[in-house]
Amino acid sequence: MRPPLSRRSFLRGLAFARPVALALPPLEAMFNAAGTAYAADGAGAETRFVFWFNGNGIPEKYWIPSETGSDFVLTPCLSPLATFRNDIHVITGIDSPAARLPGPGNDHHRSMSALMTGTQFTGRGAGGASLDQVVAARIGGNSRFRSLQVGVSQESFGESVQRNMSWAGYDRPLPPEMLPHKLFDRLFGQREIGWINRKKSVLDAVRQDTVGLKKQLGATDQQRLSEHLDSVRDVEKSIATLPPQYYKVDEPEYDGDMKDWPRIAKLQSDLLAHAFITRQTRVASYMLTKCQGLTRFPWLGYTAARHHDYTHRDGKAPGADGPDGQRIMRDICRWHVEEFAYLLGKLRSIKEGEKSLLDSTMLLYVHEHAEANDHKNNGLSMILAGHAGRLRTGLHTRTTGTIGDLYWTVADDLMKSGVDRFPTASRKVGEILS
Amino acid sequence: MALVLLAISLCASSALAETPLFVRDLLPVLEKAQCMECHQFNGVASTTRLQFPESGASSEEMEAFGDTLRKLVDRANPANSLLLMKPTNRAKHGGGLRIKPGSDEEVAVKAWIDHLLRTPASPGRTFARARTAKEQTVLRRLTHSQYDSTVRDLVGDHTFPSRQFPPEDFIDGFKNQYEGQSISPILAESYLNAAERVAANWQGKDPGPSFVKDFGLRAFRRPLTAEEEKRYSALYAQGKAKLVMEAMLQSPQFLFRLEATSNPAHKPYARAARLSYILWDTMPDEALLKATASGELDTAKGVEGAARRMLSDPRARQSADEFIAQWLRFDTVVTMVKERRAYPMFTREMALAMTEETRRLAADLIWSDKSFMDLFTAGYTFLNADLAALYRLSAPAEEFAKVSFPADSDRAGILGHATFLALTSKPADTSITARGLFVREQFLCQHVPQPPPGVNVNLPVQRADKPMTNRERLSVHLTNASCASCHNLIDPIGYGLEKYDGVGARREKLKVDLPRYDRRQDQKTVEIDIDASGWVTGIQSSEFNTAGGLGRVLAANPQCQECVVKQYFRYALGRHEGPADRPTIERISADFRKSGFRFQDMMISLVRWTEFPPSAELARNGKD
Repeated sequence: MRPPLSRRSFLRGLAFARPVALALPPLEAMFNAAGTAYAADGAGAETRFVFWFNGNGIPEKYWIPSETGSDFVLTPCLSPLATFRNDIHVITGIDSPAARLPGPGNDHHRSMSALMTGTQFTGRGAGGASLDQVVAARIGGNSRFRSLQVGVSQESFGESVQRNMSWAGYDRPLPPEMLPHKLFDRLFGQREIGWINRKKSVLDAVRQDTVGLKKQLGATDQQRLSEHLDSVRDVEKSIATLPPQYYKVDEPEYDGDMKDWPRIAKLQSDLLAHAFITRQTRVASYMLTKCQGLTRFPWLGYTAARHHDYTHRDGKAPGADGPDGQRIMRDICRWHVEEFAYLLGKLRSIKEGEKSLLDSTMLLYVHEHAEANDHKNNGLSMILAGHAGRLRTGLHTRTTGTIGDLYWTVADDLMKSGVDRFPTASRKVGEILS
Repeated sequence: MALVLLAISLCASSALAETPLFVRDLLPVLEKAQCMECHQFNGVASTTRLQFPESGASSEEMEAFGDTLRKLVDRANPANSLLLMKPTNRAKHGGGLRIKPGSDEEVAVKAWIDHLLRTPASPGRTFARARTAKEQTVLRRLTHSQYDSTVRDLVGDHTFPSRQFPPEDFIDGFKNQYEGQSISPILAESYLNAAERVAANWQGKDPGPSFVKDFGLRAFRRPLTAEEEKRYSALYAQGKAKLVMEAMLQSPQFLFRLEATSNPAHKPYARAARLSYILWDTMPDEALLKATASGELDTAKGVEGAARRMLSDPRARQSADEFIAQWLRFDTVVTMVKERRAYPMFTREMALAMTEETRRLAADLIWSDKSFMDLFTAGYTFLNADLAALYRLSAPAEEFAKVSFPADSDRAGILGHATFLALTSKPADTSITARGLFVREQFLCQHVPQPPPGVNVNLPVQRADKPMTNRERLSVHLTNASCASCHNLIDPIGYGLEKYDGVGARREKLKVDLPRYDRRQDQKTVEIDIDASGWVTGIQSSEFNTAGGLGRVLAANPQCQECVVKQYFRYALGRHEGPADRPTIERISADFRKSGFRFQDMMISLVRWTEFPPSAELARNGKD
């Protein structure tokens, strides 16, 4: 019998790997000797959903294909998707009407709340539940984690609505886990039977305290305490449903450049794929960079200014006014798509029964703005990918629906999560369904 | 079907003719004109005679408000009513033209004026009472800094466990606003891990089963109920003190503070916890718990005495420090990025030094019991060698020693501190707008509306034939009427600070990099004159052209003085003030003024008036 994989060796595998081909240990090492965990259940693989975001919009002329239909030419920004043509559906022209409701916040705040939730920015956060949480509420209940929030770029900048893409509800952010070793710990950390029993007793007392406290509260505070209770229950569940093969894993040992976002992105994508294949969750959000993000891009050679500075033509990024700035934005957005393509590749490389993980996953890739310079929030460009549900692929479609229309179609028709309506939805976007 | 619809609409229009309703007839017009963006409690037009109720007001309340608009109606000459003259900009209006003469909207305003002329004033009513309960905070989560200090004082853990927690976001200006405090699953897991580590690290001697009661009193900041004692005694039997500790540190009774408990036996303890978390940022100590048990906190006098005593403890300094750091957004200073070519001397160490300078000035004013309004006018500061070089002063012998500005210096107070000047700048240059906005929002407590959605916020780019100052590039803000209504409140403040660059160094001229049309050309830079004449729109005789000049305007301004109180109130209570808090804020502001703006007196006054609100006292005297 093969010894269980240690966390140390897992991370070493990740840490020393180079971007193109990550030397991940074979997955069966993480499972029992029979290796049955790879196999799809009799009923077939479970479907998964990834909601992917990166900040600051796009340079449309380098991003949106000129042609629609199946003969579209991949633009410079989309070029990393060359080998995934038949796994994607590029959709452009989507409107985000809630971003234009008058109210608090700057364009980014308003656009982000509207993009994630279809609702207006509250002045503090998003006005409702984000798409991933709407889906998770329907299909996440039987997994160890109802949903995972994965992040990459650890910028200290920004307010809640800029730092979080997942929202459990009105003003309730779900922060992303941005450190690979912490994400690893959540998924595969050391857990012994004694530890689990101990935690159960502790959380049992905590839950009873919570119930006792709740009786003393008014409606609003009861609601807030319920969230705490839900969180405690989620933690309890994540402990109770821990796969037994993870009880004994070594202490972590982690080093490396934590500001190297391309490397972190790939580590996070690997971990996410493993969370899926080990059936710890079915729903994830992936926040590559922050809304209105201020990342610099040393790996692209752009360190003079920060991401958001390049999206203003008024000299926030000296020397990048006009065409130069557009070309820089092109390279930045190509990097975003490159990381997305990496995740697609990772999912495609992992087999579950006869099929790959990509066959059972649906991914939706969004930005808070269309043309970055104008901070435009209509005519948004997005990428749908994966073969969960009946997604038509190999196409570029220009449409006129709202994000609500699209999300409703994704959640209901593709993810089969039985979602009734999404805010701002009035019709299904039939063009994406086969 | 069509007939039915027609009948309904006829009914509706005849109803409209009979009983005008503010909510239906005029409010939508005023909303469209965005009047309440400025004419609200904390709006830039809050000192004018028009102030809308808070959002969420009942329709009854709104109707009553619509009736009060008669104070803006000129009975002798209705066409001259301010209600009509101001929004149409016929009389000078800070917000510019909001309603076009001759439009349907103007007709609606005129109709409402007619209605007010035809009807008698309805009796004035107050709605404050109904709103008090709604605004009361009852459940507050420990902030990360409170968590760290609490486990330090509770079990002697000095490991700052919150460094492993997901970071707290600034909501409404602070990190502790209760409306933004939630516990996500990832935070719940962090609490679980922290509790496990803190309990495991604990080296104390297990005193036996009495541990549950004693530790419970301190962890929950009140005596345990019988039920809790039973529950935790069972845990004690299972895993001794460490297991009890681990569980209690995850209990909502520890993580949350219940401000308005319904259990009468717990009420004085809730008060003690409020005092200690406001004044110390940590749990009550043994002396405070004893004072609580003895009934000392049951009177306003007792609370004042306890607060005064607590301020002499070093923990009070930490708490005040945290307030200053959040109010002045030190977080953005220490993480800000500056363009290396423009500011080669700027480093992360320098950013830390900037906050240290400001922290020291505030601490000096607070703890040496000087007027806190000197924050804006102090003729001295605390510098290290880096900052002295930045300000072109000679470095003090000791790091962060007190340094007096020369008599002819333009700097005085925090508006001349690099903290403020750099954090309100862009990476490569100043931002006139950001500086003006920061002054409005942080120092005058005025909410300035954001630009409407979809506005192009790009400024004209530099041209080689006609280089412009930042002020000139912003001129579009004042020539375009829709921009001007807000920007004439913001930008002129920033104008007066243009002689301080993006990291806070003095500059006499503006260096402009001329655009190159060919990369092979050398970069050409020209220097142009800066016009640094600024003013604060809405404050009489407020013209200034130095940081010290603006500081003197603010220090003497009653709104700024009250704003210091409001900001501390927001931090202390974890929420923004509402109309129902007005009497409380007024009392604290009066005490603050009377004390000669002593910050410590203001802290005591805040605790005293929030624990025993003036409205409640009035109610007891039957006045209301």
